[in-house]
Amino acid sequence: MDNPISNNNIEVNNSISNLSFLWIAIFKDESYISQLENGIEHRFQEVKDRFNELKYFSIYNKYTNQYFTIDLIKGLFYNSGISYSKEDLKEEKKNIRLIYFRRNRIIMTESGDQQSHQIWYFLGFQYLDKLGNNQKIILKINSDGSFIIGE
Amino acid sequence: MAATHAWKETGSGGETTATNINFGSVDAPNLVPATYPITRATNSFDKYIRCLFTGSWTEISAMKFWKSAGVYKTDETITGSANATYATPSQTSNGDSLIPTTEGTALGINSAEGAATIVYGGSGVSGYTGYIRLQTKTLVTTPSGAVNQKTFTFQYDET
Repeated sequence: MDNPISNNNIEVNNSISNLSFLWIAIFKDESYISQLENGIEHRFQEVKDRFNELKYFSIYNKYTNQYFTIDLIKGLFYNSGISYSKEDLKEEKKNIRLIYFRRNRIIMTESGDQQSHQIWYFLGFQYLDKLGNNQKIILKINSDGSFIIGE
Repeated sequence: MAATHAWKETGSGGETTATNINFGSVDAPNLVPATYPITRATNSFDKYIRCLFTGSWTEISAMKFWKSAGVYKTDETITGSANATYATPSQTSNGDSLIPTTEGTALGINSAEGAATIVYGGSGVSGYTGYIRLQTKTLVTTPSGAVNQKTFTFQYDET
């Protein structure tokens, strides 16, 4: 697939600066929405509103350009363009639905001298297998791009 | 913008941005414990903490709160309850249970309006969570001196 990750991202001074990964949604008609475009942040709601039209959903590291992509037609995921080849990803899938959210952990000490904000990115999809059972594949991605499958 | 999170504490003086969760013998946010120590066999004043989300987001869900680090001294405990109704803080024991210390047993936090999620732009949505009521309790057998520092964690999922 082409990588339409835009070069016109202009970071603005708000909480998006805490995010290592930003998303981009690509639709069946090849149109796309970037989370950050020309300094304007799009809300994920715009993607939810077009869920049935989704073809690919990617998150990319704005520092390293590493990206993870979910192919919502085939039910595959890619890590920086390399298809993940686990056998269970190749089985027939129906009704493929995106899973994406950011898990935020705010930590404050009693004295307040140490505060931190950790973010993990959960990306994957659920689908119906050939027996009609709902299955789920999800990546837990750290801000540095390392990841594990499943929660 | 993605959601921006802030800690808030409410007391008899109104609501203040909380920069710490220090317990003491006065109803005040961001207090200095050495100035307002808790006398043995008494409790701290209740603390009513909540979170405020500003900016924009789609949905905030799975909100949890727990004590994630910090060892108690002998007969020192911290109690907590989720989605509490605000009342003027006092040193009277509030009867809450020990605050959970793991993510798996964490307090489940709702929105201020009582929903499990905070939907951006939803009708009547304030962006606040419900109150988390906290109190430190001691017994006559609690050793004198400073207690160990505790760490609290608030976790949420965001789209």
